[in-house]
Amino acid sequence: MSTAIIFGLLIALMLTGMPISISLGLTVLTFLFTMTQVPIESVALKLFTGIEKFEIMAIPFFILAGNFLTHGGVARRMIRFANSMVGHWHGGLGLAGVLACALFAAVSGSSPATVVAIGSIILPAMVKQGFPKKFGAGVITTSGALGILIPPSIVMVMYSVSTNSSVGALFMAGVVPGIVLASLLGFTTWYRARKFRYPRNPPASWAQRWKTFRESVWGLLLILIVMGGIYSGLFTPTEAAAMSAVYAFIIAVFVYKDLRLRDVPRTLLASANMSAMLLYIITNAVLFSFLMTSEQVPQAMADWLIGKGLGVVAFLLVVNVLLLLAGNVMEPSSIVLIMAPILFPVAEKLGIDPVHFGILMVVNMEVGMCHPPVGLNLYVASGITKMGITELTVAVWPWLLTMLGFLILVTYWPPLSLWLPRTLGMVSG
Amino acid sequence: MKVLDHLEEWIITFLMGAATIVIFVAVMHRYASGLPIGALQERLIQINTSWAQELTIIMFVWMAKFGAAYGVRTGIHVGVDVLINRLAERTRGKVVTFGLLAGALFTGIVGTLGVRLVWENGMHYALFTMLGWNVGDVPEGPTTPDLEWPTWVVYSAVPLGSYLMCFRFLQVTWQFLRSGELPHHEVAHVEGLEEEPAPPKPGVEDAIYRMRDEVHPHDVEHPPLPGDDDSGARK
Repeated sequence: MSTAIIFGLLIALMLTGMPISISLGLTVLTFLFTMTQVPIESVALKLFTGIEKFEIMAIPFFILAGNFLTHGGVARRMIRFANSMVGHWHGGLGLAGVLACALFAAVSGSSPATVVAIGSIILPAMVKQGFPKKFGAGVITTSGALGILIPPSIVMVMYSVSTNSSVGALFMAGVVPGIVLASLLGFTTWYRARKFRYPRNPPASWAQRWKTFRESVWGLLLILIVMGGIYSGLFTPTEAAAMSAVYAFIIAVFVYKDLRLRDVPRTLLASANMSAMLLYIITNAVLFSFLMTSEQVPQAMADWLIGKGLGVVAFLLVVNVLLLLAGNVMEPSSIVLIMAPILFPVAEKLGIDPVHFGILMVVNMEVGMCHPPVGLNLYVASGITKMGITELTVAVWPWLLTMLGFLILVTYWPPLSLWLPRTLGMVSG
Repeated sequence: MKVLDHLEEWIITFLMGAATIVIFVAVMHRYASGLPIGALQERLIQINTSWAQELTIIMFVWMAKFGAAYGVRTGIHVGVDVLINRLAERTRGKVVTFGLLAGALFTGIVGTLGVRLVWENGMHYALFTMLGWNVGDVPEGPTTPDLEWPTWVVYSAVPLGSYLMCFRFLQVTWQFLRSGELPHHEVAHVEGLEEEPAPPKPGVEDAIYRMRDEVHPHDVEHPPLPGDDDSGARK
C-alpha cells in the first residue's frame, strides 16, 4: 500500500515539471510527515551525509576534465586522425565521425557533450562534401551515445554509487561493449553509404596517419591515466578523476593552447553548475532510497517477482522495457539514481552480476538519449543541424535499430561485458 | 543583489578549483614521499595529508549546496516536462508556478530542519560559550574525524545553501510571473555555428541542459499575471 502511495506521489509531482530532485525530496518529506515514525531530523543529516562518499566526488572531477577538453582543439585533432584511418572506406567522413565519437568518448563521460564536440565540427564538413544532412545527423546523434558507455562515464559512477559496486570494474566492463557498438554503428554507416554511393576521401599515407596520431595522442593519453591508474592501483577512481582533470587542464591550456588562462574560471563555474545539479539529484535520490529501504520496498518487490516464478530472462526483459519507457520522460542520471536501487536487489537475488546489470542499464540509457521525446542527443544534434526533432527521429532510425539489436546482445550475453574485467581479475567468478 | 550573485559564483568556482588542487597535491605527495631522496623524503613524510579526502568531500558538499542554488538561477535543474510543455499557455504558466513554489517550499523546510540540526550539533554550545552564558547540560557537539572541525560548522552548508536556494526559487517565480520567462533562455543555445564552424565555447556541456528540450519547462508568451483571467492568453 505505502509503495503505491510513494510512487503515485512521486509520479504526480514529477509530471508537474518541477525539478526531479525537488519531487524526490517532497515525496520523502510528505511521507515522513504524515505516515511514519522515522524522526524527521534524520532528513537534514542525510542531506549532508548522503553525498559524503569519496566515490561520488569522481563526478565533478570527470565533468571538469570533460569541460576542459570539450572545445574545438581536441575534437578537431581526433577527427583528423579518425579520417586519416577510415576516411577512404565507404562512408568517408561519416565513418570517421563514428570513430572520432568513440575516441572522444574516451576522454568525456557524457553523451551530449560528445555530440556537441564532434558534431559541430564534422556535420558542416559532411554537408559541404555532399552528404545528406540527415545521414550525418543520424550518425553523430547515435555515435555520440558512446560517451556514456566508453569509460570514463558519469552514468556508471552514478550506478556504482547507488548499488555499491566497483567503479573500476564497471569502467573495464564498458570497454569491449563500447568497441563492439562502435563497430556495429560503423558497419551500419558503411553499409548505407555504400548503398547510396556517398563520397569517400582519398586514402591517407602512413606518414600522415602517424602525424595526425601524434597530434591527437595528448588527448588520448587521458584514458590511459584513468584506466591504467585505476587498474594498477596507483589511484582510486576519484583520484584518477582528479588527476585527469588536472591533466586535461594542462593539455588544454599549455599543450594545445586552445583555452586561455582567463577562460579557466568560466570553465570551473560551468562544471560546478552542472556537478551541483547532479549532486543535488543524488542527495535527494539517496533520501528517496533511504525511504524505500525503511519501507522495505525493494525486498517486497523482489519476493513478489520471484514468487511469480519470474526467471532471469523474463526479468531482464521487464527491466529493459521499464527502462526504455522511463527513457521517454527522464534523462539518464535521474533514471539510474531512481531505478537502480529498486531493481538491483531483485537482480542480485536472481544471481545477475552487478557489473553486467550496470552495463545493461547504461546501454539502455544510450538508446533513450537517441529517441524522442526526451533524447538529449537529439536536441543537441537539432541545435547543430537546425533540423526539426521529427525529421531527426526519422534520420536516426537505422542506427537506433542497430543499437536496439546491440541492447539485446548485451542483455542476454553477459560475457560480452564481463570477459575483460574477469580476465583482469576485477570481477569474481 | 549583484554582490550576492558574484559571491555565489565566486564561492563555487573557488571550491571546484581548490578541491581539484587538494587531491592532486595529496596524490603527488603520496608518490613523491616514496622517492628515495633522503632529505626530501624525510621532510615530505612529516607532512600529513590524510585529511585531504575529508576536505575534498566537505568542499564538494558546500559546492553542491551553493551550486544548486546557482543552478536555480541558471535554470539547469532537470525535470519531466514532456507533459506540461504540451499544455495550453495559461495552464502551463500555473503549473510552472506551482513547481517553482514547491521548490521554494521544499528548500525552505530543509533549511529549517538544517538550522535545527546545526543548533543541536554544537552551535548552541559554541554560541553560549562564546557569549559567556551558562551552557547547562548542552553537549559540546562532535567534530569531524580527520580535520577535527566542529561538525556544526561543516553542516551549516545545509541551512545556508537551502535558504539561498529557497530565495532563488522565489526570485525566479517572481520573474516568471512578471515576464513569463524562465532563466534558461539567458544563456545562448549551442549556437553560433551558422556563420563559421566555431568550436563550442568552454563549459558548453552545461549549456546542453539549458536548451529548449523536454527536461525543462518552456516559457509562456503571456505572463500569467494575477487577474489575467481570460484576456490575452487565448491566442
